[in-house]
Amino acid sequence: MSAADNTAAQPALPRSLLAADLRFALLCAVGIALFPFLLHPLGGYSTLATQIAIVSIASIGFNLLLGYAGSLSYGHAMFYGGGGYIAAILLLRVNPQHPNVWLCVIGATLATAFLALLVGAVTVRLYGIYFALLTLAFAQMVFFIVEQAKDWTNGDDGLQSLPNALLPLGSWNIDLTAHLPSVDLGPFGNLGELRLWYIFAGICLILVLLLSRTLTRSQFGEVLGAIRENEQRSSLIGFNAAAYRLAAFTISGALTGFSGALRGLFDGSIPIDAVGIDRSGSFVIYTVVGGVQTLFGPVAGTAVIMFLENVLSARTPAWRLIEGLIFVGVIVFLPRGLSTVLKQQRDKNPRGLFVRSLRPSTEEPDPLLKPAAEGHRGGPMSIIETFKLGKLFGHFAAVRDVDFRVNPGELRAVIGPNGAGKTTFFNLLSGTIAPSSGTVNYKGREVSRSSGTSRVHLGIAKAFQTASLYSDQTVRQNCRLAALARVQGPFKLQVFRRSTRLDDVDALAERAMTRLDLIGVADVRAGDLSHGDKKRLDIAIALATQPQILLLDEPVAGMSKDEARKTEALIRKLSTEMTVLVIEHDMEMVMGISDSITVLHQGTVLATGTPSEIQANPRVQEAYLGGHSEAELAHG
Amino acid sequence: MEAFFQALLGGLVLGLIYVAIAVGLTIIFGTLRLVNFAHGAFYAIGAYVGLVVAQHIGVGWAFIAAPIVVALFAILLDRVVLRPFYEKEPTAQLLVTFGIALVVEESLRLIFGATTQQYKMPEALQGSFTLGPITYPAYRLLFAGGVIVMLALVWLFIERTTYGLIVRAGIRDRIMVQLLGGNIRQASTIVFALGAAIAGLVGAAATPIYSIDPATGFAFLVPSFVVVVVGGLGSFWGAVLGGLLIGELQSLTNLVYAPASSVVIYLCMALVLLLRPQGLLGESEVIRQ
Repeated sequence: MSAADNTAAQPALPRSLLAADLRFALLCAVGIALFPFLLHPLGGYSTLATQIAIVSIASIGFNLLLGYAGSLSYGHAMFYGGGGYIAAILLLRVNPQHPNVWLCVIGATLATAFLALLVGAVTVRLYGIYFALLTLAFAQMVFFIVEQAKDWTNGDDGLQSLPNALLPLGSWNIDLTAHLPSVDLGPFGNLGELRLWYIFAGICLILVLLLSRTLTRSQFGEVLGAIRENEQRSSLIGFNAAAYRLAAFTISGALTGFSGALRGLFDGSIPIDAVGIDRSGSFVIYTVVGGVQTLFGPVAGTAVIMFLENVLSARTPAWRLIEGLIFVGVIVFLPRGLSTVLKQQRDKNPRGLFVRSLRPSTEEPDPLLKPAAEGHRGGPMSIIETFKLGKLFGHFAAVRDVDFRVNPGELRAVIGPNGAGKTTFFNLLSGTIAPSSGTVNYKGREVSRSSGTSRVHLGIAKAFQTASLYSDQTVRQNCRLAALARVQGPFKLQVFRRSTRLDDVDALAERAMTRLDLIGVADVRAGDLSHGDKKRLDIAIALATQPQILLLDEPVAGMSKDEARKTEALIRKLSTEMTVLVIEHDMEMVMGISDSITVLHQGTVLATGTPSEIQANPRVQEAYLGGHSEAELAHG
Repeated sequence: MEAFFQALLGGLVLGLIYVAIAVGLTIIFGTLRLVNFAHGAFYAIGAYVGLVVAQHIGVGWAFIAAPIVVALFAILLDRVVLRPFYEKEPTAQLLVTFGIALVVEESLRLIFGATTQQYKMPEALQGSFTLGPITYPAYRLLFAGGVIVMLALVWLFIERTTYGLIVRAGIRDRIMVQLLGGNIRQASTIVFALGAAIAGLVGAAATPIYSIDPATGFAFLVPSFVVVVVGGLGSFWGAVLGGLLIGELQSLTNLVYAPASSVVIYLCMALVLLLRPQGLLGESEVIRQ
């Protein structure tokens, strides 16, 4: 993508993109057309080529989940076998006189998509081993149902000798089992060995590859990648992580079911192993060997392993050992899979495609960017307020009975000795944790039970004590993600469009970077920034969500004195446009910039007042001066 | 009624195997933060070593050789393959240990064949134990007693030794333990080898009861993971409670409606994960890893 492409106002799918897709599809078609003839001299046969094309679709679906959403499912056989069984049952039970491929395949795909939606709804909130085991558990339940429903599935024997389905296309009724015309190709076999099935499976594979390519490069793919990299941050810039993972799980399950349905119809049989635990494991092997997070990796892995299975199994009993050794070898030595050896430039970092070329923006931001600040400065209504707010950890009351009130436009500092409950209090305000008692009101509306994600969309944003960033992405991309969340909302299944086409997003990100003085490092990887820049980037990310209240947890902690003063000035400037709450130990800063100060001590409010009132308050001095010298406190 | 007691005892024996494997998983997780999908392989290797030694040397030696060989194998694995994965995300650990499990299973299949094998206990232990209306093979009761003694020793190790302290601390806060220094490397190797040896010994000891084929390791591993999840990752007593619960559940379901015995444990796990994600006795902090 060139910069010119991006800046022009363009429709959803510009012609250049369509052309690129067409080129891509053509390239795939050439590869798929050649594949069976390359397989032949190696000892493969035409049936295998078709099976590889079909199973690759499942692997691509699996990779969407493992590679792009970062979740390892150990139960994808429930979709693969499930798709196969549903297709077969549709074939046998619905209008058996006129068996129709479309009906079986589309019906099975929709049904598995629904199954994936149900299973996903309960699994996507889990991670790592818990997610793997729970998906395995559901797959075992599906296996059990398939095994028991003998009237429909023929139990352990599986469904055999399925009738041949026809593919109605316009006025034709295509028999996919028909052979292509016989043409002798010497060492590459004979064209006539192939059935029409291969062409059909190849077209399906191309379409799925196109879908996968578009999806991973789309706005949806970009957000999915962000959630994989840093879920905490993604939730607190306003993305609904669970919804994204659920969508990825559902698409992944549907593609796997689609593949299973095709395989059942092609083979004319479904063994019960199709829903078995080894089947689930095979998708792990195919995808990892080929290369997670790559477009062609799953296809390559499927081809290599299925080829080994079919060709080696006839020659040596050690073929499964060889397969296992390849798998371990790839994980240890080539964590991104075989396809990285073949091709260095790949979708390793799909987000990389979204980088806009640097376009210095000198224009004034449009009105859209002005934080909505009605009732600004001294309005009658408080912007955020808590009543008897409390949080228990076990028996320990980290925060208790806190009544707190901030007026719009105020810059309020929250101070207190270590362990006073400041960070917990901020987490209660931002919605990262739920209160044990009491309420949080935002603009007169109770938000105590709403999630951190939805509070971001209401206008409450937070910068973390330890900067929470997307380390592998540039400063600009970090800010763009936050701006994207503001522009698109918590969830959007935008799988066809790239976020680069949203000018609002760029403008918001640009503005956030400008405000925090990060334009100079806009294209530096966030992980490579200095400590001070990281902290400022964290604030910029929060700012790019266009908040009305900005919560800053120790924004200058660990900074050098110069950096701290510079950041302090930037915060002071921000506070003219929005409400700012800041936790800070740097008393010079607290006394210098705050309109008012709340002192927390042992989870309760000790005092609230102007900086001079706080300094004069004897109770504050008594409680607080254990941590800081009187001179330090008086400094501001 | 007799069948019920038989099933109850059967569930106890099965449950104790799960407990032993699950305790190994839990202490390894505690020290290394490693989610070890290859733990079933330790069971299988122990079983085959036990088989060979019992057939050629003597049953007594099998119980000594199996844990030693498996512990050495675990140390090798730790040094050669797993080290770089300890600091990686759980998914990478799952993948590499899954791969190791695959390689071990296939190697065993090549060496010993795919058929189910078993070795016989000496005459003295082949008898039955009768109590009222219940008759039960003596070796199974001996096995149960042996596993309980072994678990008691493991508990003492965790509660009373320095290494155990590291295990307990590591479950709570691994980074803190690392910062405090000490010989974490050595401790983790020892704990890894110990967890493996337990699985290996149980594998050898259980073979006269359950027999062995190359896939048995994985077949025992998955329910053991269920046990860990149900009991609570990182909790010794959670593993004990979960193991006995799952063992009995499976055994009693088998009595009532045999086909459901394979799926009932998954239902149980799904319920626990949905209602109490940290497990019955787990601490909520370790859940998200």
